[in-house]
Amino acid sequence: MKKAVFLDPERCVGCGACVVACMDENDIYPEKGEPPLRRVYQIEDRRISENGIIYISIACNHCEDSPCLIACPTGAISREPGSGRIVTDTSLCIGCHSCALACPFGIPRYNAEEKMYKCTLCGDRISVGLEPACVRVCFQEALSLESANDFQGKKEKALMESLIKATSQKRIGFRE
Amino acid sequence: MRPEQKLKKIPNGENGIVIKKSICTICDPLTQCGLDLYIKDGKIVKVEGSKEHAYNQGSLCPKGAATRQYVYHEDRIKTPLKRIGSRGSNQFIPISWEEALETIACKLNVLKKEYGPESVAFFSGFTKYFRPYLKRLTHSFGSPNYITESSCCYHATAMTQALVFGRQGLPDMANTDCLLLWSGNPFYTNPGNGRNLVKNQERGMKLIVVDPRITPTTARADIHLRLRPGTDGALALAMAHVIINEKLYDQDFVANHTYGFEEYRDYVQHFTPEEGHRLTGVPADLIKEAARMYAKAKTAAIFPSASAVVHHTNGIQNYRAVFCLAGLTGNYDIKGGNRYSPHSFIHIAGLIPTREQEFIQPRPWEEMPPRIGSDRFPVWPEVVDEEGQAMQLPYQIRSGQPYPIKALLGFGMNYRMWPDSEGLRQSLNMLDFFVNIDIFMTDTCKMADIVLPACTSLERSELRCYPMGYIIFTQPVIEPLYESRSDVDIIYQLAEKLGLEDELFAAGYETSIDYILEPSGITVAELKKHPAGMFVPNPVRPPEKSYLQNGFATPSGKLEFKSKILEKYEDKMGIAALPVYTPPKHSPEATPDLAKEYPFILNTGSRMPMFVHTRTFRLSWNSCLKKNQPAADINPEDAERLGIKQDDYIRISTPKNSIVVRANLTQMAQPGVVHMHHAFAQADVNILFEADYLDPISGFPGFKSALCNIEKVNETEVC
Repeated sequence: MKKAVFLDPERCVGCGACVVACMDENDIYPEKGEPPLRRVYQIEDRRISENGIIYISIACNHCEDSPCLIACPTGAISREPGSGRIVTDTSLCIGCHSCALACPFGIPRYNAEEKMYKCTLCGDRISVGLEPACVRVCFQEALSLESANDFQGKKEKALMESLIKATSQKRIGFRE
Repeated sequence: MRPEQKLKKIPNGENGIVIKKSICTICDPLTQCGLDLYIKDGKIVKVEGSKEHAYNQGSLCPKGAATRQYVYHEDRIKTPLKRIGSRGSNQFIPISWEEALETIACKLNVLKKEYGPESVAFFSGFTKYFRPYLKRLTHSFGSPNYITESSCCYHATAMTQALVFGRQGLPDMANTDCLLLWSGNPFYTNPGNGRNLVKNQERGMKLIVVDPRITPTTARADIHLRLRPGTDGALALAMAHVIINEKLYDQDFVANHTYGFEEYRDYVQHFTPEEGHRLTGVPADLIKEAARMYAKAKTAAIFPSASAVVHHTNGIQNYRAVFCLAGLTGNYDIKGGNRYSPHSFIHIAGLIPTREQEFIQPRPWEEMPPRIGSDRFPVWPEVVDEEGQAMQLPYQIRSGQPYPIKALLGFGMNYRMWPDSEGLRQSLNMLDFFVNIDIFMTDTCKMADIVLPACTSLERSELRCYPMGYIIFTQPVIEPLYESRSDVDIIYQLAEKLGLEDELFAAGYETSIDYILEPSGITVAELKKHPAGMFVPNPVRPPEKSYLQNGFATPSGKLEFKSKILEKYEDKMGIAALPVYTPPKHSPEATPDLAKEYPFILNTGSRMPMFVHTRTFRLSWNSCLKKNQPAADINPEDAERLGIKQDDYIRISTPKNSIVVRANLTQMAQPGVVHMHHAFAQADVNILFEADYLDPISGFPGFKSALCNIEKVNETEVC
């Protein structure tokens, strides 16, 4: 199964280190009109979190059934065999923004020449067994590169552990 | 996207890329994350955290991740500069290093002869690696006036612990059952500690967080005590009320190892949980719950922060009340409590003995005139052994009392650090001679007569210790850019030009480090074999309960609920010996009339993750993470009432001055409180403070609780 970058919103603190590491890796410079590939959102809503604030770090999901790839009229967007990464051939991009309309996550970005660019899953790095730059930098280990099933398994285990903890009579280190 | 090029940044043996090791010193101290620098043709092409570094283990924060922009930023100062226009006009001409150093040495020696060496002050901003050498230079020159940014950061917390414990007590997070984190958000300031916090919570550690804001840290707390800014003392005393009256305190420890308990106990009786609620805004039941959790834990540690609590006009007394909780519960210097460990180097207990103290104090204080601030803040020199109180600098420049200050040699000085920052900027105009050394051309540099270009940490070497017994002496990974030099080289070259008779300066930087490290058995030669750093071979961990042998390092020899040092100033200065709670100098309680006109509490300096002070403001990788700055955080309820929408312009005003910034609507701010980050050139919040808005004991500015008003400003008025 292909691997993707997963976010554990329980761990993310919204610092933005992943955004900076991504720009360092991919030579993206906002002052040249190049918006970052990855973004972090602070979302405040008391209905979803008791403390009112959650953080989400997001870039291209490299979807299995990619609407951007289907929408692109010139074939500039393609799936790399093997890794399953969705990659862009900038020389074929005509700047029509069809991919932006198709992407349900709002991922495609355009540089000053109106050429589309987005997360490449750090193809260089993963080809030699390194983790993507965003995963490497995260001190909270909120981002990880793994298969969807592995990520789900971890979530399941964590939930089971917290259930056991909540129902256990044993408490650590406290005088009753 | 640029076309994908195979292994553009990864060494493959053919593309000429090599990985070198260093550390990040954009923030300081304790952090200093290990860096892997990918170098091609003498230039850094990529940065990431070193996996083998004991502190950051491969990760970085957004500041360190932006290292490459920091090093290669166009604002770097390229050559030594001499001012040719008026001060502040930014008219300079390049000069040679020889001319610059010669001019500085000559001028300083003339002033020394005419007004005495004390007329020259030496200041250190960030970072801190060069401080031991700068302090030695100051005293070797004959001046007592070594001053630093720690005059509004590190020292007040250390001072408070010294007043209560005699020495510092650091939280033993790895072994504690309950951590009482009193105002701090390590996820934004000290990621390694943030990560440790989560790991220890997973182990079962309980977490109580005191903070007026909602932060990622408070979100992870078992109990969040969301107090009104500046009421920390009342909260701590109300917790003490619960602990004493419910007999949860360590009666053996209190009876045998503390001083002043009876008077403290009687004073605490005023602070019932209900009174605590009235004063702090924290519900009485939550105060009780937190007090019980802290006191009932087998071991509990207080996690202090450098400046959050002490940036109040009542800061020292508030923090004393907090640390007294460790005295009540006997949690001082035990495993899982607040442990004592002696400093090895630059305020870090690195588990090795050193001769830092001998190195930095080549001339005893008694042989020099009193340090800046000693007359106004007499407790300071009694407790702070290291330096003068820099907050007094503008006063002494203006008054010439008790003796004139004629020249200032600043390393990374930023005048916007002071309350009434504009007042200090004008005071700098009154100096005969002002030199500033910095990496970038800053507004403070523009006030200088001579500006010298410092290089970044990646272009030089520095020694650092870490609390887990890790040590590093970095080596340059690239050549210094332009004509920049290491701060330490500047200090050693200046020592020579000044004609100081100082053997260690004559012997050089690395010999000095060998001298400092001599008791540890570690040498520069050995450290150079470990470019990414190493664990110290023989870590020295002092035994628990050091006080059993020699008592506490306080005048009474005990942990002091009632301070014998402060007692001396009770009559003269009205400083209470007990940790008495008084509301902030400007607050609804202390100045109700003022509060009618200025109904909001102004709290400044809370950290954002991508900035540390001003150091990464200019980097687009960091500034793009926080759009529409400068902005103040205000609660959405307040905003709605005042008709303020997200990113609207608002005016923040105090009796002193006003600034216009954007509004950022967020639950992180509690209703009635305005949070503003400091030191923006476009909207410097410190101009809103009077220069004397200071804690009378420490001299620390009350940056985190003043009164202000906010109002919406129409876009047309701004543009």
